[in-house]
Amino acid sequence: MDIRLAGVTKIFEPDIVALEDVYLSIDKGEFVYLVGTTGSGKTTLLRLISREYLPSRGQITVGDVNLRKISRGQLPFYRRDVGVVFQDYKLLPNLTVFENVAFVLEAMGIPPRIVKNRSNEVIDQVGLWRRRFLKPPQLSGGEQQRVAIARAMANSPSIFLADEPTGNLDLRTSEEIMRLLLSINAAGTTVIVATHDQYLVDAYRQRLVELHNGRLKRDERRGRYFIDGEL
Amino acid sequence: MASFRYALRDTFRLLGRHWGLSILTLITAASVLYILGFTALFALNVRHMVSRIEGGLVVQVYMKKGERADEIHARLEANPMVSAVRVISPEEALERLRAKLGNQAKAVTLLGKNPLPWSLEIQVHKVEHITPLVRDLVVFPSVEEVLYSGKLVERLSTISRASSAISAGILILAVVISALVIFNTIRIAIYSRKEEIEVMLLIGATKTYISLPFVFQGMFLGAGGALLAVGGLWATYAAAVNAVRSALAFIDIIVNHRILVQFFFLLFATGATMGWMCSWLAVSRFTSRALRPK
Repeated sequence: MDIRLAGVTKIFEPDIVALEDVYLSIDKGEFVYLVGTTGSGKTTLLRLISREYLPSRGQITVGDVNLRKISRGQLPFYRRDVGVVFQDYKLLPNLTVFENVAFVLEAMGIPPRIVKNRSNEVIDQVGLWRRRFLKPPQLSGGEQQRVAIARAMANSPSIFLADEPTGNLDLRTSEEIMRLLLSINAAGTTVIVATHDQYLVDAYRQRLVELHNGRLKRDERRGRYFIDGEL
Repeated sequence: MASFRYALRDTFRLLGRHWGLSILTLITAASVLYILGFTALFALNVRHMVSRIEGGLVVQVYMKKGERADEIHARLEANPMVSAVRVISPEEALERLRAKLGNQAKAVTLLGKNPLPWSLEIQVHKVEHITPLVRDLVVFPSVEEVLYSGKLVERLSTISRASSAISAGILILAVVISALVIFNTIRIAIYSRKEEIEVMLLIGATKTYISLPFVFQGMFLGAGGALLAVGGLWATYAAAVNAVRSALAFIDIIVNHRILVQFFFLLFATGATMGWMCSWLAVSRFTSRALRPK
């Protein structure tokens, strides 16, 4: 699904402008890095696409869906097509790795046998097969991140949003995560990654969108993180 | 079908996770529903007794000498307060008197001419109808005298009204207390899974899917409490019936099994419905708030 933002502004009460007049078009199957300093509006943009937030002004359309007009009844079905990896993972500490992944599929009413097979498949894909019966607190940061990715990809969404997926991870783990995201993209999923990780952005060059104080500053096909010593 | 199975599994997980609170809610719901059932049974029995007495209450109207009762009879038959009216001729009245006197019936023949007037026996639907009816009858010029159990009628009326009012009050109070207890238990369960629900909403779970385990939990607690209350009431009522039969045989209490089973089923349904409604309300408020875009 393609994503279109037309003149999107997001203002939080009382008058904090998180995004201002952003025009952005992302085609189906693209891989996009969202970069920018803290507070530049990266997370807000992702949350607008996952429809956690509504824009104060402007329109966002994902495929044929105008996110402003989507009803409460339709919202869950839209969200099933958008896999999100949250900055703080949002894993459920009382559930095992398997249960954390499976519960996404269960919430969609998928029969237990299929849930089991698909959950095992994605857990294996992210390399956590041997850790599937452990709970999040028993895992390292990188492993938790991989559980979050497995959960987001379990129902094969058309759009994959990842908010700082390599934040606080060592280089080797970050590269593993990156390769995972690229493989998801290679399967035809649109991937948007909000990141600070200049090494990864430059090592795995993709389309780069830079935000600065809520405004779109740069949009390059195969951009580099730094330009002329900025950022 | 799969969603239903997951919901059932999660219901038992929820009950297990908060087992202490679940038991406490079950006991509270059972106690309150027991009080509710006890009050309702008491009110039902009072009404039953009053209606039995009402059925036996008769207003007797005696006509003046030489006056017939046909006109009043016609009017009374059209009166909605009257359930039955019977005209007693002087001859029938004399026969009744003879039967009553038994061995001394010969004394009646000494009277020669029949001195008894035409009269009417009236039965009403409700005890409250007697006083206005009597007020209407005494104004007829052809009526000599109206006899009825005035004090008894007034007392029965008062008892019936008071028991209905007290029962209604206790009933409302009991329903409110049970509803609040179940509502709060579900709210605590929801808050304990707050994060989980928020994640579920973000990954595309429907409101119904999220709500079902909580609604089942509420229904389980409401229905379980009602079931305990029904068991307790059944035992108490059976003991009460035996005690009343042996000590106060003149008191007519309800022993009809069909009525009692219906009543207990109603109490059970009340508990389950209350649990369902309270939990739905609690979870619905939460999910609606969580789904509202920021």
